[in-house]
This record gives sequence, structure tokens and C-alpha cells, in this order.
Amino acid sequence: MNIALIGNPNSGKTTLYNQLTGANQSVGNWPGVTVEKKVGKLKSKNVEANIVDLPGIYSLSTISLEEQISSDYVMDREMDLIINIVDASSLERNLFLTYQLLDSDIPMIIALNGMDIIDKNKEAIDYVSLSKALDLPVIPISASKKIGIDNLISAIESFDLKKTRKRITYDKKIEEVISVINEHIKDRFLSIRFFEDGLVALDHANVPESEQPELIELYHDIKGEFTLDIDMVLPDARYRKIINLIDEVYNKNDLIKVTTTDKIDKVLTHKYLGIPIFAAIMFGVFYLAFGPVGTFITEQFVWLIDQLFILIINGVDKLGMSPYISSLITKGVFGGLAAVVGFLPQLMILFLALAILEDSGYMSRAAFIMDRALRKFGLSGKSFIPMLIGFGCSVPAITATRTLDKDEDRKITAMIIPFVSCGAKAPIYGVFAGALFSNGSYIVVFSMYIIGLLVAILSAILFKKTIFKSASANYIMELPQYRKPTIKNTWLHTWERSKDFLIKAGTILLASFIIIWFLSYFGIVGGRLTLLSDEDISKSFLGHIGKFILPIFRPIGFNDWRSTVAILSGFVAKESVVGTLGILYGVSGDVVENGSALYPSIRAAFTPLQAYSFMLFALLAIPCIAAVSALKRELNSNKWFFFTLAYEMVVAYLIAMAVFQIGSLDLGTILTIIFTTIIIIFVYFMIRKFIRQKGSACATCDKSGNCSLPQNIEYLEKKGENKDEN
Amino acid sequence: MTLQDINPGQYCIVKNIRGNNLRKRIIDMGLIIGTKIYVKKTAPLGDPVEIIVRGYSLTLRKAEARTIQVERVEG
Repeated sequence: MNIALIGNPNSGKTTLYNQLTGANQSVGNWPGVTVEKKVGKLKSKNVEANIVDLPGIYSLSTISLEEQISSDYVMDREMDLIINIVDASSLERNLFLTYQLLDSDIPMIIALNGMDIIDKNKEAIDYVSLSKALDLPVIPISASKKIGIDNLISAIESFDLKKTRKRITYDKKIEEVISVINEHIKDRFLSIRFFEDGLVALDHANVPESEQPELIELYHDIKGEFTLDIDMVLPDARYRKIINLIDEVYNKNDLIKVTTTDKIDKVLTHKYLGIPIFAAIMFGVFYLAFGPVGTFITEQFVWLIDQLFILIINGVDKLGMSPYISSLITKGVFGGLAAVVGFLPQLMILFLALAILEDSGYMSRAAFIMDRALRKFGLSGKSFIPMLIGFGCSVPAITATRTLDKDEDRKITAMIIPFVSCGAKAPIYGVFAGALFSNGSYIVVFSMYIIGLLVAILSAILFKKTIFKSASANYIMELPQYRKPTIKNTWLHTWERSKDFLIKAGTILLASFIIIWFLSYFGIVGGRLTLLSDEDISKSFLGHIGKFILPIFRPIGFNDWRSTVAILSGFVAKESVVGTLGILYGVSGDVVENGSALYPSIRAAFTPLQAYSFMLFALLAIPCIAAVSALKRELNSNKWFFFTLAYEMVVAYLIAMAVFQIGSLDLGTILTIIFTTIIIIFVYFMIRKFIRQKGSACATCDKSGNCSLPQNIEYLEKKGENKDEN
Repeated sequence: MTLQDINPGQYCIVKNIRGNNLRKRIIDMGLIIGTKIYVKKTAPLGDPVEIIVRGYSLTLRKAEARTIQVERVEG
């Protein structure tokens, strides 16, 4: 049996899913589907059933890709039974989706969640009457407190799938229209969907294309028959039914005027305190993950992993296998694994903090607070969360763009995330800044984060002004009630993301590490393919590639093939840039762990300016393969994927080149350039101001109404815009 | 008068919703002709605006609020 779990966002759906499937059930992504749909086995001895957890939706009419998965799943009726989770604390809105689902005639059970809160507030919902009115089982539960889960499972076990149930009927006039549409579509549910959504619904129906014009005409005819706008007719009818029903079953406590959520929000979204608190929370999260705490845990963890791997590597060496195989295993496979696994603790801390913020309901407030600021860049408050995750790792950040409503918005956010300096780039800054900028090293590292963010923001503006001209990110969002995050949920959330990262990054990285291993440990020596030792990397294929492409990198300050090879290895994993430099400079020991071992070699090979240019290029150029593959998946279009890669490459190159070339000039020339730039900007603004004033002269001209001079048209447009804004 | 003209702390009733990108979603979220809205607050930067409708809290931008025609009423 296939059971779909459907409900509003924030209704406790995922918690219920975990309760129904059991904590240790494996949660896997669906094969072949780009977006997540989780499947687990129902914890039941009596029936075999798969539970499908779908993204939360408010309505079957969708506005985001994520929502569409759920909607499509319902429209195609792929399930035998729906468990509709209804949040008792906002019954009215939750039942709207319930009524849409009831139109489908798919067997359904309602799980009325949050009954503990209803009790606590001294309210009551008569679920027996609710069950009778809707003609389906209604099970009161509290997913977070694990109340009523057994009742829900037995309701599933004893559910009679064959029984036909009462169907929701609308007013006479609406029913007439539905039956007229149904003559073409021959499916009541899809006819209702057509009535509500128009042609979108036909994707799921068997209507020959030749009949479509007739349907469109019909749709226009229907429009005239109602006094309400056509898209309001069914929602209006449903909400009327819902209000009548709620009057009967819901005993509301009118004494509660100020809820706990109201009290918390008084502070957290306060006019003046809101932003400082938000900044403090974000700082706290990063301090925890990348500050002393995170670093300490990482160090301990890396030490442990190293010990384990040394054991394995020694074991492999003792086996006396051919040097090729043992090199592949020790340097290719375990070298790759160590790079990925060593990064895990910090990521998990980040995921944990984000899970707590998400589960408690603060993330929606963050989006609410940040929306105005991000809108200037054509993004919405919701883009903030993926960008924040981007500071940890681009892979989950790019995946998180799915939660954004609009396609353009999602694309822009995914395209700029690689510029945000991820955690794996930090060792690069650490080593270079430590070696060459002893006093100012913190400022240098900090400048990398700022430049990354600036380039991301400027790129977003550029994309919005050029290729995504029509893009204006939508924003409409519910602020859910604050909830105390449960340990289990927070942990599951954290673990799921970490696992996702490990599996996706691990498999792709492993493959590419093997390729890199081959390129760096093999070379043609004396006309024969030979396995090389660490010291002979200059003779390897990678060394040759590095030397071959070095001329391209000269304008940005690289004069050593080792830098190019290190950058190349950064495309596999940014963590390996420092490690590769260690190998290339023949520094023994773990340079990632103990960067100062590399200082002398770096001081000898780089000037501060070259180092800065190197860091900039490492920051801005194409991200690691794991992130690239995430980009490919999320952009879902070769055109945009290759455009993004090319764009990132060009931007990285131009910025590094500008910094290096300008930095190489003597002080006098630099001052001249700065001075000239200031004058040009000044003149530009003067001219602009002059032109604007010319336009505003139209305000005093009495012929302005029917004058077709360009500046007048512009002036009239501006006037119209301003009116809109006020 | 539109939803944008209603100050925090005031109530209003939806009279009409003009066309916009999110029109259908706004309707599905429960804003229909005759629905009563309580305007709770605006975000620290002045936009978006938080409203209470059908017993829950919804936030939307002023750009959309402007398309929702309302009539001010007493609580």
C-alpha cells in the first residue's frame, strides 16, 4: 500500500513521518527524481505500507517547484491512501487543503495534530463530529509528544479502501459548471482543478489537444456567469463550508489574547531590536561552527580519522599488493575520504544550529526581517537561508534553493552561492595570510569573506538587470507559532543533511579523487607510463598540465606551475589546495592540520600581492566538483549550468587580474587611477542629475499631457511609478 | 483604500484583490472578499507587513498589499 503524507508547511508533517516510520528507518531519496520525496516503511505488523513524505503545501495550486511535486503527486493519484495532517491551531486554513484533497476521491485519514496545545489552551475540537461531517476517520494526535500515533496506525490498518465515501458537493451553479467541464475532461477531480487553475490541470488529464481551444472558450464563458472573480469562486465556496463546520466542532477560548508567540515576536521582530538580535544569532552560529569550539572538535576528529586511516594504510601496505593498487587505495581512496570526512564536524555543527533555528520557527522571522534588504538584489528573504548555509558548504546551500518560490529567484541564488566563501576555503586563507600578512592576517582573511559576499550580491544585481529582467522574487510567507525543537527532530534534521552531504560529496569526490590520483601519480618517464612518488609530481600528468596552462595565469600573478596545479586540485575539493601545495613543496607532515609548516616555502614562492591574487582566484573561481554537480542538478539546464561556470571563471580571473595589475603599479600611478575614477564617477552623477532635472521641467510645462519628447515620456513613467510606490 | 493604508493595530475587510503574481496564493491562503484582517506590524526595515487572517499570521510585501482593496473597520 502506498500512503502519502500531505499537509501544510509547519503542520508537523516531518515529525509525524518519523513517528510513523520509526527513528531507524532509512530515509532515501527517490531515484530518478531531482527533488526530494522521502519514503519509509510504516511501523506496523499487520500491513505492508510505504509512507511517502511530500513537501508541505497550502493549496494544490502551486507557486514553487517544491510544492509542485506534492501537487502533481495528488493530481496523478499515485497513492492508495492520503494521511492529511491538519494543524489544529490554524484549522481554517489547514482545512482548505483538506477540502481540495477531498475533491480527488482518494481515500483519506485526517491526523489532527497539536491536540495537546488545544487542551492546554482550554479549547476543544469535537473530532467525532468532524469525522462524521467529512465522512472519514479523524485521529487526534500530537506528533511532537507522540500522542495518538498508535491510534493513527490502527486506523490505517483497519481502513476500508473499497468503501465509497460522501463527496463534497458545491452550490447548484458551481456543480453545473463542473459537469459541463466534465463532459470534456471526464474526470470530476480534474474538472474541478481546471475550474480553479485553468489549463495547468490538463497536464494530468487525457484531453486531446484538438479539444483544448473548446475548453479555453468554455473557461471564458464560465467567467461571465459568476459575480465573483472566477479564481475566487471555489475558494470562497470552500471557506464558507469550512467556517460553518468549524462553528460546529471548534470550541474556541476567546480569553487568550496574547500568545507566547506574540510575546517572543515582540522582541525578535522588534522595530529596533530585530536586526541586532538577528545579527547576533547569525554571528553566534558561525562562531560556534568556525570559531574555537568548532575548530577544537574538528582537530580531535581529524586526529581520530588519521589514526584510523594510518592503521588501514599500514594494513594495506603489509598485504604486499602491487604498488599500483596500494597507491590507489592509500592515496586515491583514503586521501579523498579523509578530505571529505575531516570537514564533517564543522558542517554538522552548522547544520545543527540551522536545524534548531528552523525547527523553532525563527528562520521564517529571519526571512521576514531580511526580505526588504535582499529585495534590492532581486532576491527574497527566503534566499537568505541558502546563502547563509553557503558559508558552511555550497553543496547543501545550492540544494536549499529549492525552497524558493520562483524559478528565476532560485537560479540567481544558486548561481551566486559559489561566490560565498565556504568553509573549505578557510585553510587556504589561513596558510597564505599566516605566512605573508603576519600582522594584518585577520583583515586579509576577513576581506576574503567580504569580497565573496560583495561579488555574490553584485552578480545578483547584474543578473537581475540583464538576463533575468523579468525577475522579481515573490514573497508570501506564514509566520508559524514558535515551537520548542525536540532533540530527536533536530538530530534527524542534522543527520539527514550531513548524510546527504557525505553521500553526494563522498561518491563524486571519491571518483574525482581517483582521477586526480591518476593524474598526479602517473607520468610518462622514459617513454613509459610510470607510477611516481610524491616528490616527482612535477613529472606527472598534472604537473605537465599545470606547466602547460601557466601562461594563462601569468597576468593574475602566478609564476610557478605549482600554484596552477594547486588551483586545479581545488576543483576537486577546496580542502586539497593546501594539501597539494604541501606535496608540491615537499613539506612533510599534514599541512592542512599544521599550516605553519608551509610558511617558509610560501614566503619564498609568493609575494604578498601574488598571494592575495591567488586567494582571490581560489575564492571566486569554479567551486569544487561536489558543488558543481549540485549546481547542475538544481539549475537543471545545460545552458545555465555552463553559463554559470564560465561566468565564475571570468569573474575570478578579471578580479584577480585587476588586483594584481593595479597592485603591481607604483604608488603614483595607483593614486592617479583612483583620482581619475573619482572624477569620472563625479562627472557621471553630475550629468545624470542634469538630465533628471531636465525631465522634471516637464512638471511645470503645460503641454506635458500630450508631448511625446523622450524625456517627457520618461517623466510620465516615473510619475506613474512613484504613484504606485506611495 | 488598500491594505497598505491600514496602520498596524487596525482591522479591515477585503473588498477586492487586483491582479498580481501571487493573487491565487493570496486567495487560497484565505483572503477572499469579506475576510477580516488584523494588521499586526511591519518588519524592522518597513516592509513586509504581518497580518493576522483566519487565526494565523501571514506576511506579505507592500507591493502585494497594495493590490488588496480593503475597507477599514473597528475591531
